Amino acid sequence: MAKFVFIVPPLTGHINPTLGVGAALLEGGHEVGWISLDSTLESRLPKGGKLFLIRYTENDREEQESGQYLDVITKKIVYGVDSIKFLYEEVLIPLNRHSYKGITRWLEEFRPDLIITDHELFAGAIAALHHDIPYVTAVTAPAAIQIMDELPKVYEWEQNQIIGLQKELGLSLEKSVASSELLNLVFTSKEFFGEMRLPDHYGFVGPVIHKRDEKTAFDWQKLHQAAGGIKILVSIGTTFNHEHKKSFFSKVTEAFGGGPYTVVVVCDPLLFEQWPDNFIVQLNIPQLEVLPYLDAVVCHGGHNTVCESLTNGIPLVVIPIAYDQSHVASRVVKTGAGIRLNFNRFKAEHLREAVQEVLHDPGFKTAAMSLRSSFAVAGGTAAAAELLVNLTQDKSTSSINNYV
Amino acid sequence: MDTIVTAVKLNSNEIFNLLKQFITEVIGEEFIEEMDISMESSFNKDLEMDSIEIVAFSEKIKAHFGERINFTGWLSNMDIDQLIELKLGMIVKFIESCQ
Repeated sequence: MAKFVFIVPPLTGHINPTLGVGAALLEGGHEVGWISLDSTLESRLPKGGKLFLIRYTENDREEQESGQYLDVITKKIVYGVDSIKFLYEEVLIPLNRHSYKGITRWLEEFRPDLIITDHELFAGAIAALHHDIPYVTAVTAPAAIQIMDELPKVYEWEQNQIIGLQKELGLSLEKSVASSELLNLVFTSKEFFGEMRLPDHYGFVGPVIHKRDEKTAFDWQKLHQAAGGIKILVSIGTTFNHEHKKSFFSKVTEAFGGGPYTVVVVCDPLLFEQWPDNFIVQLNIPQLEVLPYLDAVVCHGGHNTVCESLTNGIPLVVIPIAYDQSHVASRVVKTGAGIRLNFNRFKAEHLREAVQEVLHDPGFKTAAMSLRSSFAVAGGTAAAAELLVNLTQDKSTSSINNYV
Repeated sequence: MDTIVTAVKLNSNEIFNLLKQFITEVIGEEFIEEMDISMESSFNKDLEMDSIEIVAFSEKIKAHFGERINFTGWLSNMDIDQLIELKLGMIVKFIESCQ
């Protein structure tokens, strides 16, 4: 039996796939831990999983003070190419700098056989090299890789930010170590990811969807009362917690309020004093349980919501806001599984028309169903867990961190 | 429309109008009416085009001018700050200089 550790950023979309893979490893009798800054993760871990919380005492003054970025990502309004610069300069680099010391301490204590670190938490890769422990990269937002092809200079700039931090943390290499030379677990299918030349150690395992054990309350009665009618979900995820939400949801209300739909909305109900009668508004919903009843999904192009919808063969209307969402949205369009709208420009009528179109043109549904099959073929949780277990059994793995 | 390769030299005003037409095709006619597109318009802030829309726009330029203008090469060499600051007038100048 082997010891695995996942190193995760405090971002839901990046954590969820690791919970599914981790659960499979635990079922196989392995020891599994998660290194994270988020203390609430403990309650979400699969049974038997251990949380290694990154915590700093007063003696770690520098680390304590560097933890300011956490709020920034939900508060600042970012859009388009600008958002990539913001993401690195104001979120990822400070986050990784802040996490590094805590990660190395836990690695010293737990001594895992294999590390699985998120592609945006490169401090995990730097720490792995420092301790000479083999590491795998979890590519939880695969569309971020595509920037390599489309905007190579922007990709180069991203790599330089990472290299800068590596040097600061004592790793003098002219190459980013964020992507493992051993294995990159890409949580999508090749069909959805699209044509791009990647080395063999990129394993497309499909999305890993983790079913949580606990029950989230939901107004099932209202959903089932609408039996036969059209049901749609509208969600722009958990990251955008600012003014974006207000303008967005007022357009949603205008588009679907009073219409022949039941609309499930993931949003703080207090955002507006009143919502239309045909809306079910909750801050959290049991999304995986609700999805099978839906006819269409409107979302911001977050990788998880898109994959969960396609896993249910549901066509999409995607309205990307920032980061890699523009790329996710373009994949949805290119595979024929949905329509894309521009977040700043769209009006209520465009949203209504787009939803009508994905509902009435069967081509969208067919494309969504075909992606659903591609995900199933990719193997998901079991395939990912098997690749990881095989690495710990392969004697050559321990010497395969080729960077140093 | 995209495949017409003109050998005629265009002046900056003609290039501007052509690019404006490409932008219209990428983001949709109904939105253009509300926009004041000028040489000074920035793709990121004024036109609110995201990276994928900029890529789609550049493909139209490539399809129109063909081999004569290596626009995608020029664009892909832009670093992140140049891309954030990219203005319509800069592209007009670039195309003019290539003719």
